[in-house]
Order: sequence, then structure tokens, then C-alpha cells
Amino acid sequence: MAAPANGTAADAAWAPHLASAPGAEVVVDAVGKTFRRGGRRTVALSGVDLRVRPGELTCLLGPSGCGKSTLLRIIAGALAADQGTVTVGGRPVTGPSPDRGMLFQTPMLFSWLTTRNNIAFGPRAQRAAGLHERDDPELDEETTALLERVGLGGFGDAFPHELSGGMRHRAAFARALASRPSLLLMDEPFGALDAITRERMHEFLLDIWEQHRITIIFVTHDIEEAILLGDRVAVMGGRPPGIGEVIEISLARPRHATDTDTEAFLAVKRRIRAALRR
Amino acid sequence: MSLWSTLPPDEQLLTEPADEADLALVGEQDERADLAAYRRERRRARTRRLGTGALGLAVLALLWQLIATLINDPVFLPSVSQTAASFAHYFGRPYPSQGKPLWFDALTSLRRILIGFAGGTVIGVALGAGMSASRVVRHAIDPVIEVLRPLPPLAFIPLFIIWLGIGEMPKEVLILIGVAPIMAVVTVAALDEVPEDLRLRARTLGASPRYTMLRVQIRAALPGILTGMRIAMAGAWTSIVAAELIAATSGLGYLIMQAGDYLNTALVFSGIIMIAIIALVLDACLRGLLLLADPSRRR
Repeated sequence: MAAPANGTAADAAWAPHLASAPGAEVVVDAVGKTFRRGGRRTVALSGVDLRVRPGELTCLLGPSGCGKSTLLRIIAGALAADQGTVTVGGRPVTGPSPDRGMLFQTPMLFSWLTTRNNIAFGPRAQRAAGLHERDDPELDEETTALLERVGLGGFGDAFPHELSGGMRHRAAFARALASRPSLLLMDEPFGALDAITRERMHEFLLDIWEQHRITIIFVTHDIEEAILLGDRVAVMGGRPPGIGEVIEISLARPRHATDTDTEAFLAVKRRIRAALRR
Repeated sequence: MSLWSTLPPDEQLLTEPADEADLALVGEQDERADLAAYRRERRRARTRRLGTGALGLAVLALLWQLIATLINDPVFLPSVSQTAASFAHYFGRPYPSQGKPLWFDALTSLRRILIGFAGGTVIGVALGAGMSASRVVRHAIDPVIEVLRPLPPLAFIPLFIIWLGIGEMPKEVLILIGVAPIMAVVTVAALDEVPEDLRLRARTLGASPRYTMLRVQIRAALPGILTGMRIAMAGAWTSIVAAELIAATSGLGYLIMQAGDYLNTALVFSGIIMIAIIALVLDACLRGLLLLADPSRRR
């Protein structure tokens, strides 16, 4: 579990988290999933192959019902595939693991815990399960560092209902990071936020990702969001649903919301539009 | 000063959760939004609300005193001061003379309530947990509860007297019978309401199924269960006083009945006020627990 730290001095305060969790490679091999409700069978996914390189940010893009959330849940281990296999960091996925952090549209913080205790929930639960032996002072120090990292330094003792929408998302982010995941799975995480807060969350996400290079799979139905964030965009759709084209986004980083009307950006957008039609 | 703290306190009280999120987003503009100031303002709003509530009670007492003075017939309607004097007089003196003082009757009723309520809560929560965990248990118990729940517990009084005699037991069982089905129903609802996603979140954070059940599912259901206890407690008072009116030789219901028979109206009021005080204190205890369990209600 412990890998050599490769963070900078500035990271040292919270270095144990991400610096020690290099991105994992994700391999999805011929995955299929069929839901049965009553006598009806719905094929949600069929023959999905996807390889996500270590430290890469891949977006899954497609319309509602294209199976992108299903695929994400299978990778998370929250849902079992009917066919095919998923491996993360070389290990087959058989169930949920703190190594694979998840973030959804609703932050789903534990409403009875302060921000600080929300963030410490994962490490404490893992300690109860005997996965590590870090003691409370150590966890406390890590939690404080994470709070600072996500800009909630003064809100460690606040309860979720006392935080704004963006703050709740950042707290959920910190909670996922506290488990030192090597892969973050994000299912339209900023879909419910207003445009301005959303833009800030994009910058925040990229900032964390660029410093620490964990692997991220990001589900969205927003083409511009996919282009702004992704190294690659996997376009999903079709009948039965699966991954169509995987498009490399070679636009230079950092990418800004203001770049969305440049010719290069529009060209990528047109290409993805065409892939979505197919 | 944060934007939050400059909002009029009434705005904060009346907003729906959705609006609250919007307000919170306004707060987001100000990254220095100050948690301590926000909480201080909320505390101030709460104090103001309590003050208004006390004012309401004071107005009620004033009206009562005014009407009683106009009627000037202590048997029909004793004044506030007459009732207070009666309360003070009989608090430590037996009524009727072979009976017990007010404080003793109050303790008797309180003991019956607490024993019956505790038993009913334990049984109800256990049933509810079983029903939430197992479909078979749910389908088996659900119709039983649905049949029992609408029945007024008072209808069982003669049965309990036949089966359990006239001691304390039938009164406690009466309370229990009223509380248990309510607690079973609210427990099932509270546990069912915990979103699947919340449990999944705990699991992806490395929590074992057992840890998730204890620290997330049951914990998340706790406020709902406590709210159910407040509802059940109100019902318990109805049952116990009615039972004491009909079939008892002690307790506040018995005292009120006796006082009424002898046209000691001031003492009837004293008994009623005693019930109000105890019920208020018990509810305040449950409310306190609820606030501990659910920080979002601390407003």
C-alpha cells in the first residue's frame, strides 16, 4: 500500500495522501451488464473495452441511459458485471474498495458529522476493519491538512448543512482523498451546481489532479466539460449501449472556460458531436 | 461579516431546504464566510423565538385571569391565582383526605408512562429493525400492525383488567400497546429512508458491512426514530390519563376525576397543569436528544 512519496516540500504537510497514491491503470475487458426487471431484460452495457492509463483523466460522455453510470459503478465494485472483467492497478475488482474513491452529483456527506469527522470517516472505518493502524493524532493531522487543501480550513467544525453547495462538494472531495485512492470515479459530480461554482470546481479538480496524478474517470453528458477536463473522451451510446469512439484531446493545458470558442476547441467539439451521432 | 449573518433571521427560519442551498451559495461568494458569526446569529434568532413563545403563554394566562375575574365563580372557572394557590396547597397534601398528594400522583403517572414507553419503544424499534432487514418479517408483521394501530388502546382496558388484574401492570401494558406499533412504523420508515447511495459511500470509503449498518444506516435513521418517540409520547399521555380516569386509585387522571366529583375545579386545573409540565419536560428531553442526533435542526 505504501509507495515512496514523490511530493514537493509544499505537499509535505499532507504528502501521505496523494503523493503516496500514484494513479492506477484501469482495464475494462469485454464488460456486459443486463438488468432484469420482472420478465423484461434490458441490456445496459455490451462488450465494453476501455483502458485508462495511470494518472490519466478520462471522461465518459454520452446521453442519459447510455450506460455510463452503470460502467462507473461496475468499475467501483458497487455493481457486478455479467460478462467480462475489470482490473484496477492489476487487481480484479470484486467489490467496493477505499482504493477507488467515488464522487456523485450529491455530495452525500454524513449529516451528523462535522466536516472534519466526515473526512476522517474513511480512515476510521478502515482502521476498524484492521486495514491500517494510524492513530487519532496522526489522522487528525492529515485531516487538518486536507481541510486546508480544499479551502475549508475554518470549517472543520461546521456541519454539512452549514456549508454552501460548492463547499459540500469540496468536503466530499476531501473525504474521498482521505482514503488515499489511486483512482477517483466521478459521476456528474458538479451537475447540480451553478455555472460559476462549477467552473471553480473544475479548476479545483484539475489543480489536485495535476499535482498528484491519480487516475480519474469522469462521467458527464456535457461536451464542453468533457473537453475542458479530459485527456481522452470515451463517447458512449448505441444499441446495445457501449463505448463508441475514444477521442484524444490534445488541447494544451491549462484549459479555461474562456477557451471554449477558439477554433481548436470547436474542432474537437464538432468531432465529438459527430461521434455521438454515430 | 459574512453574507449569511446579515440575512434577516426570519429568512433563515422559513426557507425550504432548496432555498437554503441557494442562500448557502450566496455565502460561497465570500470565502471568508465566518462560521462562528453565522452560528451566533442563529442562536440569537432562537432566543428571540423562545421569547415570542413565552409571550404567547403569558397572553393565554392573562386572558384566563381576565375571564375568570369577570365570571367570578371559582367552581365554574377558578382564576390563575386561585389555581396556583390550589396547586401549592395540594402539592404536598393528600386529596381526597385518604388519597395521595399531587406530587405522588404525578410520580405514579410518570412511572407508568416511563415503564410502558420504554418497553414499547424497545419492542417497536426491534420489530421495525427486523422488518426493515428482512422482507419475510416485514410481510408477516405489517398486517398485524396495520390491524392493531388504528385501535384505540383504551378499548383494551377491560381485557387487561381481566388478564392482568388492577395493579400497575395493566396500565404499563396499555402504554406499551399504544407505543410499540407507532415505533415499529416510524423505525421502518426511518431505516428505509436512508439512501442506498449513503451506504454505498460508506462502503467505498472502506467501511465493513457491519460498520456501515451501525455507524451509517442506524445512525442516519436515529433522528426519525426520535421524532417518532415524541409522537408516541403524546399518545402515551392520552392513554394513561384516560386509563386512570376509568380504572385506577392513583395517578393524575384519578386525582382529576376525584377533584371533579367534588367540584374542586381549581384542583382539576392543577392536575391538568401538572400533566402539561411533565409532558413538556419529557418532550424537551426527547427534543434535546433529537438536536444531539441531528445537527441540522439546531436552528
